[in-house]
Amino acid sequence: MADELDLENEIFKGTQDVFSTMISVELERETFNGQNAIQSNLTSMIGLGGGICGALAIHCPAAVAKAITAGFIGMEVEELDEDVKDAIGEIANMVAGNLKVSYAATGVNVELAIPTSIVGDKFRVSGMAEAKRIVVPMKMAEGLFWVELMYV
Amino acid sequence: MREQIIEAVKEIFSTMIMMEVTVSGEVPAEKIMTDSISGIIGLAGTHKGVLAIHLPHRVAMAITGSFLGMDVDEINSDVEDAVGELANMIGGNVKSILSANGRDISLSMPTTISGKQYDFQPTKDADSLVISLRCEAGEFIIELQLQK
Repeated sequence: MADELDLENEIFKGTQDVFSTMISVELERETFNGQNAIQSNLTSMIGLGGGICGALAIHCPAAVAKAITAGFIGMEVEELDEDVKDAIGEIANMVAGNLKVSYAATGVNVELAIPTSIVGDKFRVSGMAEAKRIVVPMKMAEGLFWVELMYV
Repeated sequence: MREQIIEAVKEIFSTMIMMEVTVSGEVPAEKIMTDSISGIIGLAGTHKGVLAIHLPHRVAMAITGSFLGMDVDEINSDVEDAVGELANMIGGNVKSILSANGRDISLSMPTTISGKQYDFQPTKDADSLVISLRCEAGEFIIELQLQK
């Protein structure tokens, strides 16, 4: 039943909604050029259970993560500190919340776990080998970031 | 809770990878992972949380080798799958510990993080339980975060 959803479009609309409401930023959707194109210094992830089994991740380069956090808390951000991890984790939570609403419209009940954030210079995020992965790149003034849905 | 998780991990390691697990006293103060891989799984429903297992690369390779019955000398998709599966099995046990019939909690898909250096942090306002364990391949950490 979940296949009836245009997931890429739901992910983009759900993220756009969060950004325009929370930090008054309009996003543009970009074309995805493969996993190697993803650049992340901070990834926030949240598990999805219930009617689906998946995880949603937001991958941000440092400049984008800081810009989002600055908009969120209303002050300049110098480094990838606790504020940034909390802010991007909360964005992941809200984007997952919108996806839950999208799924509910098709009769699928999605339950959310709690977000976690990973900060590092060079790390790799993987799902299970058989997982489906949908990545939607989005652009704001400070650069690109990637919202990824993995599910089995 | 702590003891139940330790028992579950011991059971999983002894049946799945033929390794004995003991409690290692020291819980690291700074949890910045170097040359490590983490298996992460979300818990959703009546209890919301995250369970993670953090393994140094060499420990993860030894465990995967034992799991698959072959030599593993790099961090490849076999290792990622084995670590994700470990998180999944431990998460399944935590689910039954938290909810009598396990039906009120569902697990997300396991994911893995691997890299030279990274810092793993749950959201604030979560209760945290960190357990340092040791098997013959080396030390590793189990971390459970539950929303208050």
